[in-house]
Amino acid sequence: MKHALPSEELARDERFVRNSFMARAADPRVTAMPAEKRNQRMPLSPDRADGPDAARALMHGIFTGEIQALEGAGRTCWDFPIGDGPDEAPFELKLDMARQCWDEARHCEISVKLGDWMGTEIGEFAESTFLYDAACNPDPVLRLTGVNRALEGLAIDVFNTMREFAEKSGDPLLGYCEDWMLADEVTHVKMGSDWLRRLTADDPDRRARALEFQKVVDKLFSIGGARGEEDDSPIRLARRFRELAGFRTEEIDEIAELSLQSRRELDSYREHAAAKQAAAAAGEA
Amino acid sequence: MSDPKKPRAAFAPWDRREIPGAFTVEESARRVGNYKWIESRLFEVLGGWVATVPELDVKMRLGTHCYHHAWHAELWHKRLPELREMNPDRLTQPANDGIVAFVDAMTEPEAPELTIEKLVGVYRVLIPHKIAAYTYHLNNTSTITDAPTIRSLTFILQDEFEDWRDGEMLIQSLIESPADVERAAAHQASLEKLMVAAGGITGPGSIGTVPAPEAVTA
Repeated sequence: MKHALPSEELARDERFVRNSFMARAADPRVTAMPAEKRNQRMPLSPDRADGPDAARALMHGIFTGEIQALEGAGRTCWDFPIGDGPDEAPFELKLDMARQCWDEARHCEISVKLGDWMGTEIGEFAESTFLYDAACNPDPVLRLTGVNRALEGLAIDVFNTMREFAEKSGDPLLGYCEDWMLADEVTHVKMGSDWLRRLTADDPDRRARALEFQKVVDKLFSIGGARGEEDDSPIRLARRFRELAGFRTEEIDEIAELSLQSRRELDSYREHAAAKQAAAAAGEA
Repeated sequence: MSDPKKPRAAFAPWDRREIPGAFTVEESARRVGNYKWIESRLFEVLGGWVATVPELDVKMRLGTHCYHHAWHAELWHKRLPELREMNPDRLTQPANDGIVAFVDAMTEPEAPELTIEKLVGVYRVLIPHKIAAYTYHLNNTSTITDAPTIRSLTFILQDEFEDWRDGEMLIQSLIESPADVERAAAHQASLEKLMVAAGGITGPGSIGTVPAPEAVTA
């Protein structure tokens, strides 16, 4: 079996449908809308007319994200030989990744049950593999930073958002499950922070590269501003839980700022796509 | 009221633990090093395979079992220094080249349509051989001097039996035609031949023909 499996080769059954984040952003059903509607965001809430559907879509996104998190942790067990070199991973790190495999496998199981509970079929919503892509870095430290600090950090925000949605909508099963998964994710982020410190203690350049990579991934994982601290952010940045996981205040501030940048870039990209599509339509006419 | 001055035997009448056992400290450490090596290779490949199997139930089981074998590797890693091997890496070795050839062949299947081969290698060949070698060790080591190894073996064997059953049931659920049966059997036979050539997970003597017990003094 080869080392480093690209996301295109992730194995799925026929129910799963893939779609890239950029393809979604350029979806003509969205770009054809007036700008104020096109760029509209709303917090996840049962009061929204599409609240239940939005929660189901987010739950399906959590499910596919958990599969990719499981696959990413598993690949870290396989891709790197045991050792302390730059292309190697210490034995104890691989043990942690194996532990994370078990946790993510449980999260997949929980997500399937919750999908059923919320009335969603597997494959009802498209899967985007940008989470797994962050788990493909050939440097184990950068991979850990991308997965355990950026991806699992996003998971903290998402689970907290879903937990609050469960409270507002009076769904104890959803709240119960999200609370348990949230506890695991805090552990995974702490694990990533600890390994980042240990493996780069004597290598400030490598640490700087890892933190730079985390910024890139955090911006990507802001999903065009869907995750942020604005009043209309569908996924709220969970400051308290991030602090529990070892994020410093300035690091959380930075993620909030990256999210704002990501929001502006998405709006601009959609505007550009809308203009392009309008021009093409005019040309056809 | 019990009499605090009344002498009692050190071993209760029902306690039949014995000295000596079949293994010296050195032989026990060698076997434990082989165990750690094979458990490490197993958790690594199970983790790697997760992304390559399309069957959702198999994917999630492999993720769970990956951790079980990592935990076993950790238990053996911690046992090695207690067996006078202060550098655990020195003894974390395959028993011989034959077992390396077996692991190479077992980890070869990668394509998404090869789930049967992946599972057969682990659950019909490797894990049964691990259970055999662990059981042999459990039944032959000293129940007094080597109690820490016995405790680990007992926990590990419980996992192995449960994982074996899980894996076997997954295989049975995937085998749907005579062609599938032949596929599974052919792959099992080719891997079993390699395992026989290796002599088991700790080499010849994995489940017997151990060194003579005269090296051990009561």
